[in-house]
Formats: sequence, structure tokens, C-alpha cells
Amino acid sequence: MIRFATSITPNPEAISRLTDEVTGFLRSSGVDARAAHHVALVIEEILTNVATHGGSPDAPATVSLEVQPDRVSGEIGDCGGPFDPRTGPVPDFGTPIEDRKIGGLGLHLVRQLTSVLEYRCDGKQNWTTFCVPREQGRG
Amino acid sequence: MDVSEQQVGRVWVVTARGRLDGATSGAFAQRVEALVTGAEPRLLVDFSGVEFVSSAGLRVVLALLKKVKGVRGSFALCAVQPAVREVLEITGFAGMIDIHPERAAALTALS
Repeated sequence: MIRFATSITPNPEAISRLTDEVTGFLRSSGVDARAAHHVALVIEEILTNVATHGGSPDAPATVSLEVQPDRVSGEIGDCGGPFDPRTGPVPDFGTPIEDRKIGGLGLHLVRQLTSVLEYRCDGKQNWTTFCVPREQGRG
Repeated sequence: MDVSEQQVGRVWVVTARGRLDGATSGAFAQRVEALVTGAEPRLLVDFSGVEFVSSAGLRVVLALLKKVKGVRGSFALCAVQPAVREVLEITGFAGMIDIHPERAAALTALS
């Protein structure tokens, strides 16, 4: 099994560098472009949410990944306030563009791009775990 | 992210390369919004070199679309990579924005 692990202070520039690095790691590990993109996007959205709403912008978060034959599994640990990414509003898709609200897209993407999305809070940290399926036969 | 622009007839064509995310979307928005001037502007963004778009990137695309539509202009994307296209579809953007497979077809539609 191939593993990746790092820690990050979640600000926009660091998140961008990390997700770029994750994409490179996954592609070099034989993961298809679509799954590699989606894993990077899930990490980007969760860490951005921590940076924006977590309340502890200087506290480091941890990111670990495992490349498995049929999927990529990930775990993100952060010290922000308790927040379950499975909850939250669904973006407003029915409203005309002129009136459409812009929020809620990030967590909607996280929920749509993952086949498994779990959350627990151990009293000190949030732990978000997720899986993104790989496309079989594609590297 | 690298951004360049050129005028083709009445259409501003913006070519973007790299990642449109929380670190780059502000500069991208500023650069492209500067092209939305006058009545009925026509704007085409070539996404062939854009490999990653996050929700922060989607928000600036939506803001641009609103700004262009607000002055009765036209806005389109072209040559969107498959993973980015999937993101546009999941978020409903594909139903709001004209997306063309190639630049030539997009220019014909906007001209």
C-alpha cells in the first residue's frame, strides 16, 4: 500500500501547494487523473473550510492518504471547532443566476466526489475520513 | 496561474493555465473583470490549460458571469478538461454557462 502523510497550516497558498503536491504524488503512484483531481479537490475544500470557519487558523492540520487498488482513502485532522462536513446547506440550484447565492459549493463538492465520508470529533480534533474511487484500468 | 488575453473581433479571449483555487482566484478575477467594460461585452475563457478548479474558483466564475450578464454581455468557456467539466456539472454551472468543446466553435457562437 502506498501512503502519503504531511501536516499543514491551512492558508490558501499552503493549501494550493499541498493539493498540487498530492496530485503529483497520486499520478506518480498510478492513480487515474480523475481520481487524483478529486482527491486533491476534497482536501482543498475541507482545509479551506477549516481555514475560513475553523477558528484556529494557525493550528496545523494533518493529511494522510492511502492508495488502494480500487480507491484512495484519506484522513484529515484539524483543530478547528467541531464541524461535520456531511451536514450543511445544499447550494441553491433552482434560483436564476442573477439571484443565486454563491455559498455551499465546497462542501457540496466534497459530498458528491466521495464514496465514503465520515466524521468524528475526539474532543480535541476533528477527524474527517473519505474515499474516492479509482477508475479501474486507468493509470 | 498564468493568464493572458487577446481580442478577436469583438470577443475578449482569456487563456488561463494552472490552478484556479483559493490562492489564485482573486488575481484571476481582477484580471478578467478589467475586460468587462462597455455595453454588451463578449468574453471567452479558454480552460484548456486549467487542470484544477475549486469552489473558490467557481465563485469568481459565477461573479464574472453575473457581471457580464448584468450589462447584457455574453460569456462562455471552452476546452474544459474532463475532471473540471465534472465539477461544473456537479455544481450546476454547466447548466448556466455556455461551454464549447473548442475555441473556434466558441468564437463563432460569440461573434
